[in-house]
Amino acid sequence: MIWVNDIIQGILLGGLYALFACGLSLMFGVMKVINLAHGDLAVVAAYVALGVIALTHIPGVWSFVLVVPIMAVGGYFLQRTLIQASLERGTITTLLVTFGLSIVIETVLLQFLSANSHGIPDGSFGTASFSIGSQISIGWLDLIILVVAVTVLLVLQFYLSRSRNGRLIRAVADDREAAQLAGADYRHIFGIAAAIALGTVALAGVAYFGMYSQFDPTIGTGQLLLYAFEVVVIGGLGSLWGTLAGGIVLGVVQQIGAQIGGAAHPDYQFLAGQLVFLAVLVVLPQGLTGIRRTA
Amino acid sequence: MGADEVGGQPPQQHTIARRTVLRGLGAGALATGMGGILAACGSSLKGSGGSSSSGTINIGFVTPLTGPLAGFASGDQFVLSQIRATSAYKNGFKVGGKTYKVNIIVKDSQSSPNTAAQVAGQLILNNHVDMVLTTSTPETTNPVAAECEKQGTPCVSTVVPWESWYAGLGGNPVKPTTTFEYCTTFFFGLKEFQECFVPMWNRVPNNHEVACMYPNDADGNAFRFGFEPLIKASGYKVVDGGAYPDGQTDYSTMISLFKSKQCEVYSNCPLPPDFITFWRQASQQGFKPKIATVAKVLLFPADTVALGALVNNIATDSWWGPYMPYSSSLDGVTAKALADAYQAKTGNQWVQSIGSSYALFEVAKEAFGAVSDPHDKKEVAGALHHVNYSGMNGPINFAAGPAPGVGIVKPVGVQWKRSTGKYPFEMVVVDNSLNPGVPLGGKLEPTNA
Repeated sequence: MIWVNDIIQGILLGGLYALFACGLSLMFGVMKVINLAHGDLAVVAAYVALGVIALTHIPGVWSFVLVVPIMAVGGYFLQRTLIQASLERGTITTLLVTFGLSIVIETVLLQFLSANSHGIPDGSFGTASFSIGSQISIGWLDLIILVVAVTVLLVLQFYLSRSRNGRLIRAVADDREAAQLAGADYRHIFGIAAAIALGTVALAGVAYFGMYSQFDPTIGTGQLLLYAFEVVVIGGLGSLWGTLAGGIVLGVVQQIGAQIGGAAHPDYQFLAGQLVFLAVLVVLPQGLTGIRRTA
Repeated sequence: MGADEVGGQPPQQHTIARRTVLRGLGAGALATGMGGILAACGSSLKGSGGSSSSGTINIGFVTPLTGPLAGFASGDQFVLSQIRATSAYKNGFKVGGKTYKVNIIVKDSQSSPNTAAQVAGQLILNNHVDMVLTTSTPETTNPVAAECEKQGTPCVSTVVPWESWYAGLGGNPVKPTTTFEYCTTFFFGLKEFQECFVPMWNRVPNNHEVACMYPNDADGNAFRFGFEPLIKASGYKVVDGGAYPDGQTDYSTMISLFKSKQCEVYSNCPLPPDFITFWRQASQQGFKPKIATVAKVLLFPADTVALGALVNNIATDSWWGPYMPYSSSLDGVTAKALADAYQAKTGNQWVQSIGSSYALFEVAKEAFGAVSDPHDKKEVAGALHHVNYSGMNGPINFAAGPAPGVGIVKPVGVQWKRSTGKYPFEMVVVDNSLNPGVPLGGKLEPTNA
């Protein structure tokens, strides 16, 4: 029964990881941008949520309704200006630029909003749960994060495979020159993809930093960002389904590691995740989803 | 970029410049860092022993005004305004028949040990302070104390378990025989945690199984190796959840362990965000200890906001509060009056670090009052070790503590309870076993009935 509980908690945790990694995966899949400022952008989203709550007095849980579009618009402009300019100078430049962006964001937040930590008030939602039997109880917040992660990835997958814009995004991702020859404005397409990515980052930032834990300006470059990169690699670079699978694999493996380690070796939780990450890199360098790209 | 700049410099400056560049990358504090280089140059020219011969006593105050530990310092600006208004600090100290003006220089440690050491160095080398006062967790106090001991400047610390402070300076808290010439501290240690928490455990009927959540960091290991034996000595069984890494995202396994051992007592010393994550998951997954006594978190009202109703009847320690029967040695204002003044002035609920920060300045005055030359750092440090007085944080005697230069203050057991007043939750004294002079404010109730 303990193992069942571990696996359930692992899947829930995996939902959180997948949601957090979704934006990273999309940016890489479409633009081949490894966004090192990913975590910091999620923290920015949490701060935006605080601002939105203070201004409009909407309940904390619903703040994402405003934060997601704000971040998406921000994402479009970020892509059209900074990231596009760096893309035209090569892959290494985008790495350096997003790394720089990460430092700039942290420093600006520290300067103007202090290093104090905050949380998004969520009433008793963050602690509410329901039980199955005596051993298993499932938190509503965790469950909803999982549901949101699956929904977001489903909708995105559908959007990419069925909608006109989605087809354009895939076309540009597959062969930019050919898509341009066919008349696609790839800069605009990249902007849309970045907007979607930042929208999901906003969801993750509000859910994890805002409600699951606490946030301060420097928390974005912490362990969760590392997990997000691992999720993307485990799942397969650029594949959305892979991201969901990778998140759940990492979450479950961490829980199993924690159970094996027990109180004597709690660091097995961390270690198990790293080992799976390494194993995937060695055995399946393309990730769980193989060479298939988005769709 | 950085490497090019420092390439041609002599080796001893190299390390400083490298650190400067790193810090510049991290926090954009390049300008401050350059000050560090200048300070380092200055020190080699003048020597650290050179005292300012002016008629002013300079006191440095290092506290985490910003950063994750800023809650500890939230009352410090208020304390400074109160201290500066007292006649002793306004009109100056009389030392050896001469009156010296007093100048307090405040530095923010930003909750970072690196910054704390850096600003302490600045205070000593640039501001030529005669004494450094520092407060609020080992992250700030230990690097500051180490810097002061190295540079030969008197230093008083507080709000740091004395074992951590002592070990931070290189002493062995188990055999505390080393005397640190320039540094003193007043607070309490693991033994007082035991004498404060165990009586509360004893009064709530339970099965004597203690769930211990101690991380793999300095405080966590101090509790693991120092506090767990004391738990066992008190007749309780220890269920150690393991030395988990700070920042862990999921505690399900630890929670299952505590549930399977049916732990009814809970003890911890985590980082605040980790406690939020743990306690939220514990509540979801049905780990509901009968009595929870927390250390390092929930010391202040602001910490209770994130947890809301879940904070009700969680117990912790309190070293100061309006209920303390203490008053200022500077102007006689009582603890209650000080807390009321804080609430009236800031609109915020009182925090217990007001009392300890206030007492730092009382101790400084006591020490300067016992010397002939306030700029003679050796003499001031010697006087510090003999300060024995009673003030805002109660009686403090640096000569009679468990280690040289350690004064002990006696905490009481408190619980967060729903308040009928202006603030949602307030600290209520529920156990005064360790400090019977403090009146009880309410009944000890189980954290989870």
